[in-house]
Amino acid sequence: MPRVTLQSLSDYARYVLAAAESAAADYAVTTKVDLPRLELTAHLSPGPLAAAIDQAFVRAPDDRTATGDCRIFVANPNIEGIPVPASWGQAYFTHHAFATSLAEAGLRGNHYHDLDFWQFYDPERRVGVQLMASPEAFPPWEPSAPLRAFLHWEYAARGMRLAHAGTLGIDGKGVLLAGSGGAGKSGTVVAGLLNGLDSVGDDYVLIDAADGVRAHPLFATLKQDPKGFQRLGLKHRLTSYGPLNWQGKHQFRIDDIAARPVPASLDIVALLVPHIGGGEASSIMPVSRKDAMIALAPSGIAQMPGERESGFRFFSDLTRLLPCYRLSLGTRPEEIAGTISAFLARGTP
Amino acid sequence: MQQLVYAVASKDIVFESFDGEAVVLDLSTGKYFGFSDSGSRIWEALSSGVAAHALVGQTAGGATIRLAELDGFISQLLEFGLLTPAADASAQPISGAFLAELAGTREPLKVDIHDDLADLIVVDPIHEVEEPLGWPAVKQAS
Repeated sequence: MPRVTLQSLSDYARYVLAAAESAAADYAVTTKVDLPRLELTAHLSPGPLAAAIDQAFVRAPDDRTATGDCRIFVANPNIEGIPVPASWGQAYFTHHAFATSLAEAGLRGNHYHDLDFWQFYDPERRVGVQLMASPEAFPPWEPSAPLRAFLHWEYAARGMRLAHAGTLGIDGKGVLLAGSGGAGKSGTVVAGLLNGLDSVGDDYVLIDAADGVRAHPLFATLKQDPKGFQRLGLKHRLTSYGPLNWQGKHQFRIDDIAARPVPASLDIVALLVPHIGGGEASSIMPVSRKDAMIALAPSGIAQMPGERESGFRFFSDLTRLLPCYRLSLGTRPEEIAGTISAFLARGTP
Repeated sequence: MQQLVYAVASKDIVFESFDGEAVVLDLSTGKYFGFSDSGSRIWEALSSGVAAHALVGQTAGGATIRLAELDGFISQLLEFGLLTPAADASAQPISGAFLAELAGTREPLKVDIHDDLADLIVVDPIHEVEEPLGWPAVKQAS
């Protein structure tokens, strides 16, 4: 099996990109996804990833004028002309060295060792390839937010960013919810949606901070662990739901529980850092920008390959643009939603 | 130690300041460091070439900076890989404005590490090779 090293990485990336493009006529499925200012065309094989790409994205009706397009080839050796994925050829692999080596060649990339899974993107030509050993040889987290690395690279090249944050809003105004796993972010988003608020996404949302701060939807996926699923009454609310995902969480869509269609964007007016308060009532209190930054940036940067320094600068600027608060979560979903709704109406806690 | 001048340990150490409090990211590891207000000022001074001894006896966080306290703080920054001694560098002057800002701080010297989302170094013994030639030089591995 061929091996890839830091020295040969960019050559390998270009080789894989060229092979994937040369086989363009041999992919059984071609699907187009309209995203904020971007039309994404994916070429792939039938199977779970094709189904995920069909289901995972938010398809909002307006504000979708494409200002560019990108093509992603989801390739595997069952497709004529596609090579078997190479393996990593060095004992030590660091994400930063990997990303830096590719960036020096004008490329972006990601690698998941266990499956010889590779993603490469050429931001200048807006062409990407996801090379897998078979149509189903992808990491377990891929279906909930498929192709997110490519979106991350494409939007980063335009000065925007995928943030690992939840959103809630009303009448076009909204808040970002940032925090590590277990802080209550996703439960807060679901609580808001169940009680009349809007959301443009949980987990990964697109942030444009060029003129104010706007959040745009990309993925429709929501997740809840069984405890939250029970507490929020989702078992009775959802007409159907599938098996637990790889994290042991229930997975469903925003439009399964939202009162209204997903808005095209939210004008973000504050950054909230949720935490389980312990009290019955929720409260919103100022938090230092340093603490807000440390709640927002690490997971967003760690979960998105490459572009680390640009991400750090972007999230720093974003944190400075927004008033930052700690949201102590009460115990009742409708009270949490009411607290956020009142905050949005007043603009202050 | 306190006689030395220091520098940022590498180009992978990047930092931003938020209302006078610094957040530092080590790009190579994904580790974050959050500084108290006085710690931020000292970090900024040391990383821009102010000699450590010039900081001893100054007011910060409502108290006088003692030698042992500064030594301990600098040791942490060295251990975290944020600073490195810059033996050949000449010390930068310390300004009155900086000293006034330092005196206005309220917290003790402190730096917290946030490494729960730091990178794991991926070591895959299956792929270990003594002298990796790499793609495409290695066409087939036995």
